[in-house]
Amino acid sequence: MTVAAGVGYALISLGPALSIFVSVVSTKPFLVLTLLSGTLFWLISLIVLSAAWRAFLPFPSSAWWQYVILILTSVAFQEGIRLVFWKLYKRLEDMLDAFADRVSKPRLYWTDKMQIALAGGLGHGVAHAVFFCLSLLTPAFGPATYYVNRCSHIPLFLVSAIISLGFVMIHTFSMVIAFNGYAEGRKADQFIIPVIHTISAITTLINLAPGGCVVGVPLLCIVMAVTLQYCWKIVWRRLTENRNREIVS
Amino acid sequence: MADPNPTPPSILSTLGEEIIRIIVPVSTCMLIVVLLVTALSSSSSSSQTLTLTSSIAGIAYSESPSDSLWDKLKGAAFYSAVFVAVITALTFVLFLLFYFRFTGFLKSYMAFSSFVVLSFLGAEVCLLLVSHFGFAIDAVSFSIVMFNFSVVGVMSVFLIKMPILVTQGYLVAIAVLVAYCFTMLPEWTTWALLVSMALYDLGAVLLPVGPLRLLVELAMSRDEELPALVYEARPVEAPVNSRRRVWRGRRNSDNLNGSSNIGTDSVPNSDSLTERRDIGENQSSNLNDSTVGELLPETRLVIDDVGSELRAALLRRELEGGEGDGFEGIGLGSTGAIKLGLGDFIFYSVLVGRAALYDYMTVYACYLAIIAGLGPSPNMVLLVSFWARIDPLYLIRTAEVKA
Repeated sequence: MTVAAGVGYALISLGPALSIFVSVVSTKPFLVLTLLSGTLFWLISLIVLSAAWRAFLPFPSSAWWQYVILILTSVAFQEGIRLVFWKLYKRLEDMLDAFADRVSKPRLYWTDKMQIALAGGLGHGVAHAVFFCLSLLTPAFGPATYYVNRCSHIPLFLVSAIISLGFVMIHTFSMVIAFNGYAEGRKADQFIIPVIHTISAITTLINLAPGGCVVGVPLLCIVMAVTLQYCWKIVWRRLTENRNREIVS
Repeated sequence: MADPNPTPPSILSTLGEEIIRIIVPVSTCMLIVVLLVTALSSSSSSSQTLTLTSSIAGIAYSESPSDSLWDKLKGAAFYSAVFVAVITALTFVLFLLFYFRFTGFLKSYMAFSSFVVLSFLGAEVCLLLVSHFGFAIDAVSFSIVMFNFSVVGVMSVFLIKMPILVTQGYLVAIAVLVAYCFTMLPEWTTWALLVSMALYDLGAVLLPVGPLRLLVELAMSRDEELPALVYEARPVEAPVNSRRRVWRGRRNSDNLNGSSNIGTDSVPNSDSLTERRDIGENQSSNLNDSTVGELLPETRLVIDDVGSELRAALLRRELEGGEGDGFEGIGLGSTGAIKLGLGDFIFYSVLVGRAALYDYMTVYACYLAIIAGLGPSPNMVLLVSFWARIDPLYLIRTAEVKA
């Protein structure tokens, strides 16, 4: 993998995140802080999980069901982390509102809240991409590339870049969906996030089968697209609601 | 954007700005150190080490890879003990000099030391870079460039008021150079040194006779700037200042009580902080007795931060009138700006640079942990929401720079 290819893979996995960062997050300092704390939360979850699973690794290659257990526990734990993040955010939001009152500025708009959720989710996603894609890329600069037996058509780095692209987007926008669902108390939104997360994590297991990456990677992209579409639906609904409200008032 | 009607900007766009202003240079510093470490450690065999650093490292104990673990530990502990003792002594000397108002001497000494850092260490690091990248340059022009570089650096840091970017850039450069040197120390010595420096900072700041605490209290009571290497993240926009001062006035009068219901359990709310301030001022042997009055209300907050090494005393000073001391420029003085001692830059960068010798993932995790201790930890966010324009003078760790 040459330097150009490495940069290209990194941009595949992190390019959308980078554009979100430049266009939305970096303009508001508070969002940068939220992004950083999101990364930190994800990192803590990774450290805890890897410490807990350290004893059982590595799995024998035949037993795929152990991977299922691993993935399920990880997803469950990360969803728990998301809940904690939400609780902390809720507290912070109250503080921010009180502060805004004190300096006689407007309270947080709903778009602000959504941007905070976006930044937090982006933090999760970026942390994921750094650990599961960039950590593969950085030690591998050199005049060759790498294929795996089970996926002999696509370079390993490209597969991992696309997978991490999927997870960056899923993490980012599922945080928006989840926060909105928590705030509005919509059970459907709260329920769909763990489902999406589990499905997308399970689809990566398809890559274990010989030639499975031809199926698994597009499936993951489909899940990503569904998440984006769902998030867009929510944002669109809130946009129209607000517009109607303003027209009425 | 999405909102149809023209709305005033929300607080999101201003809140936390100053933390970002500190995080950005710290990150830059760490990034440069990491790049330097990776660029120079991968290529150069161990023959190319900095002569200055190896001579510093060899003063008390020189670690060799063949030593046993116990020997290394003993040597490292001894080395860091010597280091801390020297620093403590130097800080007391600094305190005495400052007490007897040898400010001119202090300033020239600091200028001299930063000149040494910039010229000698800078030239050594530059030589390593030049030889590594095969860049062709003759000795005469190299020395001229280095000399100019260092002279401008000393001028901008201490003597002349320059554009803030130049000063900040040079401060970051000094931090990078010193931190890079410290990563060249042998492994165990580095760790022992880092741990002992953190402990020393705790002691020097929190103990009632801690040298740094004495120094800063003295500087505050005299309303003087310490001649020290302090990074200032100074907002430059002038018209906002007046409004900020209005906020301060209002907050001082009545808003403290109103905000007490916001505080969380783990973090002392503003009332307890002010209480601590009172206690602290009573304890400090009435040093700043004369200044507690209307002219110069001072607050000292002692914050137990989550990050262990960041347990620094936050000093907040308010200069309502008479803010134009000669060290600061016109119109820029006394805007609320976070100040961070250059020692913190170096500390963090050494940590990260050391981690870069192993793995990038370690660097990344380390970076996040440091930033979490520095920035978006609940303490800081809470503080920002209490004191929108907080004026903390992070305690100055000049001693590390000097040594």
